[in-house]
Amino acid sequence: MDVFGSFTLLLAFVCAVYAFVGGIFAIITRHPLLVKSTRQSGIAACVLIFIATFSVEYLLFSDNFSQAYVVSHSNRDLSTFYKVAALWAGQEGSLLFWSFLLSIYVISVLIAYRNKNGELMPYVGVILAGVQIFFLTLNNFVENPFKTLTIVNAAGVLEPFTRQDGNGLNPLLQYPEMVIHPPNLYSGYTGFTIPFAFALAALLARYPGEKWIHLTRKWTMIAWCFQSVGILLGAHWAYAVLGWGGYWGWDPVENASLLPWLTGTAFLHSVMMQEKRGMMKVWNVWLVFCTFLLCILGTFLTRSGVVSSVHAFANSHIGPWFVGFLGLTILVCFAAYLKNRDYLKSENQLDSLISRESSFLFNNLLFLLATVAVLSGTLFPVFSEWFATRQSVGALYFNKVMIPIGLAILFLTGIGPLLAWRKTSADSLKRNFGWPLIFGLLTGVACFFVGYKDGGSLLCLSLCGFVFWTIVMEFYRGSKVIAARTGMGLMMAAHELAMRNTRRYGGYVVHFGMVLVFIGLAGSAFNTEAQKTMNIGDSMKLGPYNLVLQSADTKAEKNYTAQRMIVEVLKDNKQIMMLYPEKRQFQGTEQAAGTMVAIYSTLREDLYVVYAGMDPDLNVPVVHAFLNPLVKWIWLGGVWVVMGTLLALMPNRRVALGVATVPETSASAVTQALAPGVTLREGHD
Amino acid sequence: MRAMTNAKRIGVVSFLFALAAAPLVIAQVAYSQRAKEIGTHLKCMCRGCDMSAGLCAHPGGSFSGPCDTAKTMLKEVDAHLAKGESQQQIIDAFVVEYGSTVYVEPPKKGFGLVAWLMPIAFSVVGFALLIFIVRKWAIRPASTVALAGAGGAAPSDALERARAQAARETED
Repeated sequence: MDVFGSFTLLLAFVCAVYAFVGGIFAIITRHPLLVKSTRQSGIAACVLIFIATFSVEYLLFSDNFSQAYVVSHSNRDLSTFYKVAALWAGQEGSLLFWSFLLSIYVISVLIAYRNKNGELMPYVGVILAGVQIFFLTLNNFVENPFKTLTIVNAAGVLEPFTRQDGNGLNPLLQYPEMVIHPPNLYSGYTGFTIPFAFALAALLARYPGEKWIHLTRKWTMIAWCFQSVGILLGAHWAYAVLGWGGYWGWDPVENASLLPWLTGTAFLHSVMMQEKRGMMKVWNVWLVFCTFLLCILGTFLTRSGVVSSVHAFANSHIGPWFVGFLGLTILVCFAAYLKNRDYLKSENQLDSLISRESSFLFNNLLFLLATVAVLSGTLFPVFSEWFATRQSVGALYFNKVMIPIGLAILFLTGIGPLLAWRKTSADSLKRNFGWPLIFGLLTGVACFFVGYKDGGSLLCLSLCGFVFWTIVMEFYRGSKVIAARTGMGLMMAAHELAMRNTRRYGGYVVHFGMVLVFIGLAGSAFNTEAQKTMNIGDSMKLGPYNLVLQSADTKAEKNYTAQRMIVEVLKDNKQIMMLYPEKRQFQGTEQAAGTMVAIYSTLREDLYVVYAGMDPDLNVPVVHAFLNPLVKWIWLGGVWVVMGTLLALMPNRRVALGVATVPETSASAVTQALAPGVTLREGHD
Repeated sequence: MRAMTNAKRIGVVSFLFALAAAPLVIAQVAYSQRAKEIGTHLKCMCRGCDMSAGLCAHPGGSFSGPCDTAKTMLKEVDAHLAKGESQQQIIDAFVVEYGSTVYVEPPKKGFGLVAWLMPIAFSVVGFALLIFIVRKWAIRPASTVALAGAGGAAPSDALERARAQAARETED
């Protein structure tokens, strides 16, 4: 199977090279048969990568311990789910998995658009094949997952060697989210390749019209959604398994995943400027380019070990390959831009500083600031080593720098959607902002009296109230119009409203999700913790809770030994629930312990209990408990972000008014069809 | 100078307080709460985690909670506190011992200052660019502006609504 897998991987490389080289000839000669054959070669490359990936899975499932990769990342006792996940547990497998996910995107694009966008697709195919060639080079010649174990025998000759059992999966990775977090995040990273390919193709082909920008936007949303989910799952994983009570530590690898998300978010906003007003074309193309480059940079940071990180299990020496590919991509982008920059001529005009356009400019400024700040902070230790001694840049620094930027973005989330395109009058400002401002202030006051007494958090919570109310008002106004016109109930009308303009209202739902996330982040200022050595029957007080240790024992499981404890949680002397924190000692690995945190989660706060281990001196169990307010809101926010993105991806429901395409000159006739006296702002989303 | 004496006094007082309180609250912990506070400004030097000595929970270790390195560092902090040193003096002593990697955030002097100036510089450049762009784009014939005003006179209001309608209807 390993020879078969290795062969398919090599064949995939050949197909991708043909798709690339043949594709370039197809573009030059415009020969339809050549176009078709290169497209099919691209599809074949994807199918071959699928087969190679399944070969690795087959080797993992058949416990083939003559394979170096299987020995390093699996063992006989490993459960089914983690055998699937072992594919992305190590370097070689991760890179193959990158190719695999990219192939899913590539094959979807090649097949879905095979009869569409005729001028554009050959370029897209070539660019996608180019990216695939890079990863297939790594898969085939640098980090091949199909290496067999060898040993030097008595005669001094290398011969194959089979181990009895493997080393098993790193215990830190043995957690349910291992199965879903990396696929999501990788789908985000790889997904940004598609918008990149469309943007670069449109630029190279000087593709007329704005069709490509719709395609780019759609695929960006898909990748963005995966990236968001991946980041949040990673945060949740860190929270639930590392046992330090936090979910975000500004670790270089976390930062790397945030960077393309930030520029991707900036693009999803500024692309509207191009769609509605034909502005910022150069900027948008570069945002897409940068997002892709940051994805590659992120993979590089994760995989190369340039910056030290808790993801140290991913270290290796493939850095130069990534640097080379990054450099080459930047060169191609610049060359394409310099050659065809007149194609991106925009009609940049701004009527007023208080307009939707300028709010998007500010939005982009803030997201770019955030990107540059995170990037420079992450790379600062490396820079500092060049000029002076190595400096650490940790969470304290990032919090200080990023909190103001985050709050400014949150503020803009409330303001932006309420501003009209072109120009907003003072009157409409007053009408739109009065209530949200009051609601925001009231939220702040209420939070103060509830006990959230921290300046930054209060500001954040007030802004959350403000943004929340602007979103509610947007839905309410629109629904009222539809309700009045159709006689529906307000809830039904809101649903109808969202379905008629999915992108706009989906966007608001995403904003709502982000408000929830920010509420959760605001809670982190009030985290408290306590650690105590406890005998059975001892109790420990934390916030409103009283923790009583009921039992502590040790149990041998299939591939680990669990130190378990049962902690009774009391509030006002009433039992709330029992918590079962665990410490797992895995067999046969160096980094041998994993934590199973027990969390009692409510909307108000998380009671987070860790079995810290046995006190080395006293041989008595130690309980480490954290009280983390509002954390649950972050995960809830994530759910809303996904729902909002899905809504935004749905096609708009058509309304039977017979005014589908109306030239602006005959507009006044159309307005008669609308309810009189109701002012709608220009369609935006 | 005066500030330093104050800091020193606070340090000593809190240390004494912590010493008095520690046996009552957390009987077996070998370092003070104050040491833990100062420890949040020092990086745990075990190189296995990326946390501060004060908050080290050492993921994946056999004992989560401060690891041995962090505990040693915290005890060292207590030793410094016993000598009546201020927070800054203690941090400086650790920098002498471990080098500047022991800072959890770059110091606001020397090359570390660059880290703090970067975001400020980016903001200044960013806003300057934005202002430049806004000024450049704001040139536009007056008639179009009048036509595009929102919520103004009735005809433009109607136009806005029609545009809203048209934009919604023609979306993909």
